[in-house]
Amino acid sequence: MTIRIAVDIGGTFTDLQILDARTGSIVAWKTPTTPADPSEGLMTGVREAAARFGFALSDVGLLLHGTTIATNAVLERKLADGVLLTTAGFEDVLEITRHVRRDIYGLAPDPFPCLIPRDRRLGVIERMRFDGSIETPLALSDTLSLLAALRPEAVAIALLHSYANPAHERALRDAILAAHPGLPVSLSSDVSPEIREYERTSTTVLNALLVPVVRAYMDRLRGRIGEDGFAPRIFLVQSNGGVCSLDTAAEQPARLLLSGPSGGALAASRIAGTLGRPNLVAVDMGGTSYDVSVVQDGRVSIVTQGEIDGLPVRLPMVEMRTIGAGGGSIAAVQADGRLTVGPRSAGARPGPVAYGRGGTEPTVTDANLALGRLDATFFLGGAMQLDMDATGAALARIGAALGLGAEAAAEGILALTNASLAAAVRLSLFEKGLHPRDFALLSFGGAGGLHATEVADEMGMTEVIFPREPGTLSAYGILFSDLVQDISRSRLFTVGDAALPGLTALIVELRTEADARLARDGVPAADRALTVAADMRYHGQAFELLVPWGDVTAPDAAAMAALEARFHDSHRQRFSYSSEGEAVEIVTLRVTATGRLPRPATTTPTPAARPARKGARHVFTAGAWHEALVWDREALSTETVTGPAIIEEAFATHYIATGWTAALGDAGAIIARRG
Amino acid sequence: MLSPIDIEVIRNALSAAAAEMDVTVWRTSRSTIVRELLDYSTAVFDADGWNLAQSARIPQHLNSMSAALRTLLEKFVVAEDWGPDDIVITNDPYCGGQHLPDIVAFRPVFVGDVRIAYVGTLCHHIDVGGLAAGSYAAKATEIFQEGLRIPPVKLFDKGVRNDAVWAIIRQNIRKPDLLLGDLQSQIASLEVGRTALARLADRYGADAMLEASARILDMSEAGMRAAIAAMPDGTYEFTDQLDDDGIDLGKPIMLHVRLTIAGDGVTVDLSGCSAQVQGPTNATLASSNSAVMFALMSASGGGFAMNAGCYRPVTVIAPEGLVVNARAPAPVAHRVAITHRLLNAMYGALHQAVPARIPAAYYGCSYVTTFQTIRADAARDVLVEIEIGGSGAAPIKDGVNAYSSGMHNNSNIPIEMIEAQMPLTITRYALLPGSGGDGQHRGGLGLVREWRIDSPRCFFTANMDRFFSQPYGLAGGGPAAVGKLSLLRDGTITPIPPKSDNVPLIAGDIVRLETSGGGGFGPSGARPDAAREADRRLGYV
Repeated sequence: MTIRIAVDIGGTFTDLQILDARTGSIVAWKTPTTPADPSEGLMTGVREAAARFGFALSDVGLLLHGTTIATNAVLERKLADGVLLTTAGFEDVLEITRHVRRDIYGLAPDPFPCLIPRDRRLGVIERMRFDGSIETPLALSDTLSLLAALRPEAVAIALLHSYANPAHERALRDAILAAHPGLPVSLSSDVSPEIREYERTSTTVLNALLVPVVRAYMDRLRGRIGEDGFAPRIFLVQSNGGVCSLDTAAEQPARLLLSGPSGGALAASRIAGTLGRPNLVAVDMGGTSYDVSVVQDGRVSIVTQGEIDGLPVRLPMVEMRTIGAGGGSIAAVQADGRLTVGPRSAGARPGPVAYGRGGTEPTVTDANLALGRLDATFFLGGAMQLDMDATGAALARIGAALGLGAEAAAEGILALTNASLAAAVRLSLFEKGLHPRDFALLSFGGAGGLHATEVADEMGMTEVIFPREPGTLSAYGILFSDLVQDISRSRLFTVGDAALPGLTALIVELRTEADARLARDGVPAADRALTVAADMRYHGQAFELLVPWGDVTAPDAAAMAALEARFHDSHRQRFSYSSEGEAVEIVTLRVTATGRLPRPATTTPTPAARPARKGARHVFTAGAWHEALVWDREALSTETVTGPAIIEEAFATHYIATGWTAALGDAGAIIARRG
Repeated sequence: MLSPIDIEVIRNALSAAAAEMDVTVWRTSRSTIVRELLDYSTAVFDADGWNLAQSARIPQHLNSMSAALRTLLEKFVVAEDWGPDDIVITNDPYCGGQHLPDIVAFRPVFVGDVRIAYVGTLCHHIDVGGLAAGSYAAKATEIFQEGLRIPPVKLFDKGVRNDAVWAIIRQNIRKPDLLLGDLQSQIASLEVGRTALARLADRYGADAMLEASARILDMSEAGMRAAIAAMPDGTYEFTDQLDDDGIDLGKPIMLHVRLTIAGDGVTVDLSGCSAQVQGPTNATLASSNSAVMFALMSASGGGFAMNAGCYRPVTVIAPEGLVVNARAPAPVAHRVAITHRLLNAMYGALHQAVPARIPAAYYGCSYVTTFQTIRADAARDVLVEIEIGGSGAAPIKDGVNAYSSGMHNNSNIPIEMIEAQMPLTITRYALLPGSGGDGQHRGGLGLVREWRIDSPRCFFTANMDRFFSQPYGLAGGGPAAVGKLSLLRDGTITPIPPKSDNVPLIAGDIVRLETSGGGGFGPSGARPDAAREADRRLGYV
């Protein structure tokens, strides 16, 4: 049981990272994703890796699994046919939403997405108050017969103020289960027991409709256990940057919804530690999007709410800014003569013009190919023949519309792309009151390396880090994840000594539940760590700041004062002022339970024994062709790479711009510096 | 001569500068109205005050700041005396503004001694004094009752704050810390914008910035002209109306639009609108222009950058003394009522020119309710909410139920938050079946919201419209239902006038608001059976 495998299943490829605890070595593998049943591709990848790297399936002790199964089910609307039960008179909250429209000028708007239509939302006679007292007792009336007539595949229950008192939701569930044993029922007081009815209802509905989908996948995955002795403990990656057991995921699949960026963020925080650079902006550029996350003081920033396809998800997740810019982004000239890049993407099909799969509009990848930044003669290690004539013609068409040559047009496409990537990075720092000069750029994803040094130039950043295996970095991050359970409860407290008994009772309740969950997932007591945090605000504010409180159980007046001081500090940092005289409120308490998985020591691979210099080719930059040396990443050891230069590896290419030098650093990372 | 690539990089950078300024206001402002309702805008202007790039979510603000800055430069501030470290502010509707709560602040940006741009911010402040808290008195009859009127004045002169102005403001408003805090964040935002533009000018030079500005505006002008040229020439007229001004009850205010499209230009003649009224339902030209431009830009079909270049093909005729160009000292606090209805009227006229693009009328009203609860121990809490109705059916699809449309764009407040903080209980929040106009495409539904008073006493204030005149349908589609405001007390229901100040309420009272839906589009006979069946099944009718 010495092998640990992290798997990240993406739309096209299933990425694996394999850690052998005996040697500390880490190796990577890629295999095509099998969309119909992703567990099939997963097993194929594991078998291939076992054959390639020489381990037995029975040696695999731990499988850490990132999956987009829940995300894709929502995006493709392949969800259960559910029913929503609400407090009578509030059945339409899910459809009324929070009002603010996104498309200001649109004259034929689409409704906000609503996953359960009006005829499948039932009102229940009951009313809870904000303090948990009962104003109207639960009366089942004809609820059960109406529900039965709708033949639900899943049920979501979201009653007003259930975060304060879940009694009515639980009684309803019990009555439903008595009539329909085994029917998946999700309670808002279990899924997201937080104040704000629309967000809580939306999260609960997503959860309920995903339960049958994710359960079916778990069954298929469990069915693979035992094949050729393959019997690892399996954990799934959640949106909060930690993993959870299959049982937890099957009950609360909404926790998987935004797990895509977790792996990259985990990797970023690990790299921040191993390279001794606590402040990083991690940028992940793939075919269609550019994801920006911030590591500050070694920690990835976490937010308490996100959204998928316009639907709010009130659960902790890695904070991420995403813009629609990637290798597949399409360049076009608009009616008024403007050159734009994206947000339309050619995706994998038809893909860039050069792929010869029917794409006619040039993409960012076409521009990189045409200007020599990508190797047009040996693309994907020679695996794909490119049609560079078609790319040249497509770029020439763009150029003609702008009064430019094809090369100038291609360089323009890259200039515009780099400027918008830089704007996204700058805003991500700016909104937190942070400055680019205090950060290094961590570049990964298939397309990131082509743009990183020029994006850094746009912002006056002077250091770019290219980690090992940039194409499978998410899987690398997942390899070092821990079990993380987030438990929260909304209850309004005004900060002060009078709140202490109530706070203590709530903290103890949440800690007990968190501890029990880790125990259920098999984490020994010695490996458990609990921390408390509070969502806080000044009285009258309508949003909260997440303030860590450490490992408290029964806070005293001093602990209370420390929390309040920390709130003022973080308010000042984020919003430039604090108001020490104003009343401070706690709206929601959170306990994060971490179950530490063993952390085997790892070794850094030695450079390949072959020349690091592969040759040279011409790249177009600053309006002219220049000769650039091409380097082999795996062979790089003590050499200094001076821009303009190209560094190539199996699944990625890095462009080192003029004015930059790069060299191998710790942990196999390449570190580029300005000047 | 800059390449088209440089132009586009600079244009994007100007938008990014406006976005950084926006984040700065959000990050450093104090009041809930700015931070949570996002009732503010930031913008970058060329060296003559024309809008190049803007960050805004509220249509009422879009295309209004340039008017304010241009008015300042034409009438009140000599550009040659406006130095790089001077910041001019004003909130005066009669100096290019909209209503007193909106304070604008502008600062020029120089490279050496060449002015390359201006940066500006607009914030809706929580209170600027006057008759009523929030500076929204429904019964004001002159602007002096609406709050402190700050003429165009240098709040900072050569980098030094004018403490006399600061003190005058502090002395005349209800929440000085909040207002001055928000004003401070506007000032900080101007510095951020200035820094961003200086960074750009470092790279390209002053001449290039001026050239880029000119070409950016020219490109949008060309785009807008092409869009107008694609509309058929002709004169199109439409009239819609507001119920009344809240003082002269039952006397409708007419909004008449005479739209002439000729080649690539358009003239919007508002001469047929009602004379200005006694109550605060008046608008200055800046407000009215904002509605006219929003209508034309949304109807253009887009494809070009939205900036002041789009204004050039548009001529607005609006004689002074009308509700759309009020003469001082008319009160103007509820100018949003005029702009909602003016937008309805603009779309009614545009429908005749581009029928495939224009939806039927949306609800056309900001349903503002204010509850001031008074507990047994005399503690007071205030809740201000803005509700919405349904969007109008589009030529190709149904309207959207409960959809924030037209000139405003606000969020609602979670029921659980209200109940946790105030002695109020929301007893119902639902879509209102049958409130959308019938038609081949049905109008979106309005909604119903009920507040129960749990404190011994409460004062209720409302300012609403569309209680008599229905949101119209188009192309044979039916109109939507009008709104209703009622009091449920001891089992009886009585209407509450939609424009009311301080209605006294007691514990157990329920206020019920029913909002308008949107109008229908196309003849009702053409509605497919399947759509009718779905409406019945979903209980939308």
